[in-house]
Amino acid sequence: MILNLFSNLSFYIPEVLVIITMCSLLFIESSYGPAEKERKLVFIAATIGLVLAFVSLMFNLGEESKLIFANAVVIDKFSTLLKMIMVLGTLGVVYLSKSSLDIYRGLKSEFLIMVMGVLVGGMLLASANNLLTVYLGIETLSILSYVLTSFKRHEATSTEAGIKYALYGGISAGVMLFGMSHIYGLLGTIQFAEMLPAFAKVQEAGQQWLMMASFIMFFVGIGYKIACVPFHMWSPDVYQGSPIPVTTFFSIVPKMAGIAVLVRVSLLFFGESQSAVEIGWFGLIQIIAALTMSVGNISAIGQDSMKRLLAYSSIGHVGMMLLGVLTLNTVGPKIIVFYGINYLFMTLVAFYITSAVSDKFGSDSQASFKGLVTKNPFMAILMSISLFSLAGLPPFSGFIAKFNMLAAVVDAKYYGLAFVAAVNSVISLYYYVKVVKVMIFSKAEMEGPIDTFRFSNQALIALCTLPVIILGLFWDKLMLLSEGAKIFIQQ
Amino acid sequence: MISYGSYLLISAFLFVIGLIIMMARKNIVAILLGIEFILNSAALSFVTYSKFITKNLDGHIFALFIIVIAAAEAAVGLAIIIRFFQIKETIHIDEATELRN
Repeated sequence: MILNLFSNLSFYIPEVLVIITMCSLLFIESSYGPAEKERKLVFIAATIGLVLAFVSLMFNLGEESKLIFANAVVIDKFSTLLKMIMVLGTLGVVYLSKSSLDIYRGLKSEFLIMVMGVLVGGMLLASANNLLTVYLGIETLSILSYVLTSFKRHEATSTEAGIKYALYGGISAGVMLFGMSHIYGLLGTIQFAEMLPAFAKVQEAGQQWLMMASFIMFFVGIGYKIACVPFHMWSPDVYQGSPIPVTTFFSIVPKMAGIAVLVRVSLLFFGESQSAVEIGWFGLIQIIAALTMSVGNISAIGQDSMKRLLAYSSIGHVGMMLLGVLTLNTVGPKIIVFYGINYLFMTLVAFYITSAVSDKFGSDSQASFKGLVTKNPFMAILMSISLFSLAGLPPFSGFIAKFNMLAAVVDAKYYGLAFVAAVNSVISLYYYVKVVKVMIFSKAEMEGPIDTFRFSNQALIALCTLPVIILGLFWDKLMLLSEGAKIFIQQ
Repeated sequence: MISYGSYLLISAFLFVIGLIIMMARKNIVAILLGIEFILNSAALSFVTYSKFITKNLDGHIFALFIIVIAAAEAAVGLAIIIRFFQIKETIHIDEATELRN
């Protein structure tokens, strides 16, 4: 038995690599004296570890789907692809944190250690196959996130954001657990695979309403992690209060992990019979998707802080991704992965540029962006491309991602939802274009060139923008890759 | 022998108390206590189901994990509250008003 568990480790190499990186970062960090602030080796080690994890994930992509660790963890293509997105996002954040002034210099290596920890939680969540691993993943993700949020410890905003995050997080985890306990009581198991047959028994006993209530409670925990309405209240505050690298991180890794677990839980319900629980669950997701898109995009309109604007816009994007959950039996997994990859690059570019501008002027309000085109035309153009892509304008990859989502939803005959999504695209265009207008047509209020755009930064931003343009034109290769995003269900 | 209904009733009672504390109290430490109530109610109902209904060990193991993670969460929460107190010199939740729309 124990030997069996050890042999399972060979399928778990990416996670093991990230954990080893985390531990070795601790050692490397403690080998430096307190006077040495420039801790280059830590960054190098973190990058190497993440690249290795990415490569081993690529090897995992070729393997068969597999259940490991006594069915607690499932390795399939869908989870592997989402993990690859998370690792890439983390790699981007590691680079951003190196030059960002938003994180205290003495805390940068600590930041990297925490980020690795959150990444492990996200990876665990993406391949969770029972209630316990879901809970463990969510808590690993959350507890370290509270610390990351209050990283600017001398500032009231950051600490306040940390408190709000911790309190909301605590209550939603508690409610989720209470729901889980009743799911366990009714179905008699915590394994997802064994739950499916047990549903019929619950139906016979007439306990489906209790079941429904438990699953709604369970949804609170996941919904809080992906910040969908009505559990989104923490999101703008936390995004605004945290340092920018942390905000970037939060808008990628926990969201992808949350979507992954939501997909896996929703798959439980695709049985042959239209049970009350199934109708209720998907009805709930429909309502929440519509609300999430609308509230996210409408609230983004009046925002002055760029971080807050991007927070609301990411809420809107989660609403879009929820549409994919409704079509899981056909194209759902494919388009969710496709959307995730596109979302990663657009978000990274937007946050990189916001970070450089706010490091220079000490504020991320839209006034800092005024006249960016005269100061640094190249960056202004790249920012515009990323914002247009986020809004879903045609030549860029955001359009393809949104189009696929809409096509799938129309195909599944959710016409009302498709209409809501289309209207929301128009609304989002308004506030994104407003930022572009500020960058191009307003006169610069603050003087001086933006020297935080160093050459290496600009090169990386350009590199991240390339996929946004290329995937908008030649997206069939990536679609082919996402096509393989099969979800493994144990029979 | 006490029936499992009573255990579940206590668990539900603890859950409701926790929710009420979360909503009614303005002291951040008290809110953290409310979270502990909710977590413990979940642990109690897990153990109850495990002992009386499902008759397997999953629930017991789950309860152990809940206890450990609740401690970790409380530790991080308290650390952030201490930071908040050092900056604001109060632990009243209504003082947390820096971040608004």
